[in-house]
Amino acid sequence: MARHIARRLLYSIFVLWGALTIVFVAVRVIPGDPAQMMIGSSGTQADVARLRHRLGLDAPIGVQYVRYLAGAVRLDFGQSLVLEEPAVQAVNERLPATGLLAASAMALGVIVGLPLGVIAALRPRSAADYLVSVASLAGQSVPNFWLGIMFILVFARQLRWLPSSGMGGLSHLVLPAVTLALLLVGVLTRLVRSGLVEVAQEDYIRSAYAKGLARTSVLRKHALPNVMIPVVTVAGLQLGNLLAGAVIVETVFAWPGAGRLLIQAIGNRDYPVVQVAVLFITISFIVVNLLVDVSYGLLDPRVRYQ
Amino acid sequence: MTEDTRTTRGRLTRRQVLGGALATAGAAAGGVLLGVPEARAAAAPTGDLRVSLPAEIVSLDPMGASAAEESVRIVAAHIFDTLVVRNTRTRGFTPGLATKWETPDPNTWVFTLRSGVKFHDGTPLTSRDVKASVDRMIAQPGPLAPLWTAVAGTDAPSDTTVRIRTKTPLGTMPANLSLTSILPADKMNTAGFFNKPIGSGPFSVSSYRPQGDLVLAANTAYWGTPPGVKTLTFRDIPEVASRVTALINGEIDLTYALPPDQIASLQSNNTLRIQSTPSYRYYFIWMNIKREPFTDVRVRQALTYAVDVPTILNTLLKGSAQRMTAPIPSTVFGYAPQRPYAYDPAKAKQLLAAAGHPNGFDATMIWNPDSGPQDREIAQALFSYWNAVGARIKDGQAERAQWLDKLLKLDWDMDFQTNIVVTGDADFVLRRLYTTSANRMGYSNPTVDHVLDLAAQSADQDKRKVYYGQVCEIIWDDSVGLYPFELTATYVSRKAVQGFVPTPSSPVFTAVTVQR
Repeated sequence: MARHIARRLLYSIFVLWGALTIVFVAVRVIPGDPAQMMIGSSGTQADVARLRHRLGLDAPIGVQYVRYLAGAVRLDFGQSLVLEEPAVQAVNERLPATGLLAASAMALGVIVGLPLGVIAALRPRSAADYLVSVASLAGQSVPNFWLGIMFILVFARQLRWLPSSGMGGLSHLVLPAVTLALLLVGVLTRLVRSGLVEVAQEDYIRSAYAKGLARTSVLRKHALPNVMIPVVTVAGLQLGNLLAGAVIVETVFAWPGAGRLLIQAIGNRDYPVVQVAVLFITISFIVVNLLVDVSYGLLDPRVRYQ
Repeated sequence: MTEDTRTTRGRLTRRQVLGGALATAGAAAGGVLLGVPEARAAAAPTGDLRVSLPAEIVSLDPMGASAAEESVRIVAAHIFDTLVVRNTRTRGFTPGLATKWETPDPNTWVFTLRSGVKFHDGTPLTSRDVKASVDRMIAQPGPLAPLWTAVAGTDAPSDTTVRIRTKTPLGTMPANLSLTSILPADKMNTAGFFNKPIGSGPFSVSSYRPQGDLVLAANTAYWGTPPGVKTLTFRDIPEVASRVTALINGEIDLTYALPPDQIASLQSNNTLRIQSTPSYRYYFIWMNIKREPFTDVRVRQALTYAVDVPTILNTLLKGSAQRMTAPIPSTVFGYAPQRPYAYDPAKAKQLLAAAGHPNGFDATMIWNPDSGPQDREIAQALFSYWNAVGARIKDGQAERAQWLDKLLKLDWDMDFQTNIVVTGDADFVLRRLYTTSANRMGYSNPTVDHVLDLAAQSADQDKRKVYYGQVCEIIWDDSVGLYPFELTATYVSRKAVQGFVPTPSSPVFTAVTVQR
C-alpha cells in the first residue's frame, strides 16, 4: 500500500506539471489580454501597449513560461493583475470558504443520499422507490443557479427563515450548502439504489437470508459493503462537479469563495490568479483520488491483501 | 398580496419595539439634515448604514488596476480626501484638501492646502503626502495613468503648498485631481497597506474581506461634513435577485443600478424609497468609418434615421434612461444639446439608395453581454429596425475580453456598448476617443483634433465649454455614431435612510443618517 501511494505521488508531479502547462497555454490562446481589460474601452492601443510592457506581457512566450515554472516551484505566481496582492494569497484567502461549502455539501450529500438509496432499494417498484427515484432525478437535473434563486425567493424573501446571502453563522451556510448538495444527493441515491438492487440478486445474499439473518443485518453486513466501492469512487469524482457548482452557488449567495474568484479572474484575464486556482484545484483532485484509493483498502479486504 | 401585509406588520412591530425615543431623536436629525449640514456637527454619528454596490470592490488601492471602477472610486471617496471635489450639480469644483488653487502660468498649477488635517492614525497631512500621492498616481500602470501624460513634475515648496508643472497646458487638471486620493507618503508603499489603508477621509477602515464585507468607521475628527452614521458597511452581493431580497428583508439599506423590471416590482413596496438622476453612463453605437459602407455619411445617417429611439425608451428602458441629445451625456461638463434625429425609415431607405445601396448591405455589430441594462433586448430591437430599411446587420456578440480585443484593434464593422465618463468631463470621452491619433472608430477630422487640443490646454473652464460644444455639434452632424440613450442612476433605499442625495455617479454616503 505504501509503495502504491508513493508511486501515485510521483505520478502526481507529472499531473501537476501537465495542468500548469495546459492552463498557461489556454489563458494565452483565448483572445483578449489583461492589459486591455485593465485599460477598458476608453483606452487606446498605445495605452494598452505601454501597460503590456509594464506587466511583462510583451516578453517572448518561452521566457514567460520558464519564469512561470520557476515561480511555480517556489509557489510564487506573482502579483494578481487586478487585486493588488500576490495571486497565491488571493486564492488562499478565499479557499477556506469554498472548502467549508464543498465539505458541507459533500457531507449532506452522503448523509441524505445513502439512506434515501437504501429506502428505495428495500422495496423496488414500491411507491417509496418511485418517489425517491423521481426526486433524485429532479435533484440531479435542476440547474443550481435556478434552484439557488428559488431558495432565496422562498426561504429568504417569502418565509424569512434564512438570510439571503453572505457568509456568517450557520444560518448563512444552509441555503448554499443544500443547493450544492442536491446534485450529489441525486447521484448517490441512484447509485446506492441500483447497486443494492443488483446485489440483492447475488447468491451470497440468498445464503445470508437462508442462514436466518434479519433484513437489516443482511443489508448492513453483506449488501452495503459491496456497493460502497462504486459509491466512494463516484463521490470522489463528484468533487469536480462540486467545485463547478460552487462557482455558481458562490455567486448566487454572495459566498466569498475561490470559485467566484476564478470566474472573475478568467473574465479579467488575470493570468496569475487563474493559474494558482487551477493548480489548487488540481492538487485537491490528486488528494481526493488518493484518499479514494486508500479507502478501497479499508472497504475491500481483497484490495488490502494484494 | 400576503407579502405586503406581512411586510407592513413586520415594520410596525419593529417600530413598536424600538420605541419612541429613537423616533424623536431621528426626526430632529432628519430636519437638520435638510437644512444646514454644518449645524449637525455637534450630533455624534449613530447607527449603521449597509450598502451593496452593483460591482465588487476589487481593491482598496485607489490608483491600482481597478482605479477606474466605480466601486473602487466610491469607497476611495469615503476613506481618502482629494485636493478638489467635483460638484455634480454646478459641474464646477469645490475645495477639498486644497483651499485654493491658481495657475501663475499655463504650465504651472499651485495648490494651497488646508492646515490641521490629520490622517486616521493622527499624523498630520502635509504637502509631502500630496506630492507623493500625485507622483504615485502618475507612475502607476493603472487605467487612469493616460490622463497624466502631460505632467512634467511635482514639488512641495512649503508644508502647505504643492506645485504641479506640465509639458503642455492641462485644462483637465482639476478633473484629474478630483480622482486622485491623497495617501500617507511614509506608509503607502509598505506591503499590505491597501488591505487596511489609512486616509484622511470621513471614514476609516475597520475591516475588509474581499468579496465579503468592507466595514468603515466614522472619523469623528473629520475636517469636512461630519459622517452621519457610526459605521458604513459595503456588502458584496453579485446576484441581482439576492441583492433585491437583501434590500426587501432589511439585510442592506441601499443599493442601485437594478434592472428596470426589478425597479418596477419594488415601486409598490412602501418600506422602500426610489430616487433617480441622470448619470454619466450612456449607450452608443459606433460605425467603423474606415470600412465600407460606413465611409459614406449618408449610410451612417440612414442607420440613425432607421431607429425609433422613443419607442425603445418607453418599452425596454422605461424609467431607467432618457433620450440623448449629444455624443456625451447631458450631465457631463462640456455638453451642448443637439437636435435629435427623427424616426424616419423612408428617409433612411432614400439615403441608402443615394449612397449606392438600393438593395441594402450586410455588416456585423459586435457587443458583449455585460454592456448594460437590457443590452440584449436593445440589440435585438436595433437589428430589426435596421433590417426594415435593408441594413442586414448580423449579431456579433462576444465575451467581454474577446469583444474588447476586437474593439481596440478596430477589427469590426459596428460596435454597441455603454461608456462611463469617469471624470465627468467631456475631455475624457471626446479627446480620448474621437481624435485622429486615438483612432478608435476611424474618424479623422482636423477641425475636431484642433479644437479638442485647444480645449484640453485651456485652464479657462468657460472657454473649454464652448470648444466642447463645437465638437459635440460636428460629431453629431457627421453621424460618427448613434447616441440613443443616457442612463439614469436609480438608487433604492429603505425608508430608514435619510439625507441621501442621488448623484450621476459615485454616490456619497457621508451625510446620510439611518433611523431604525
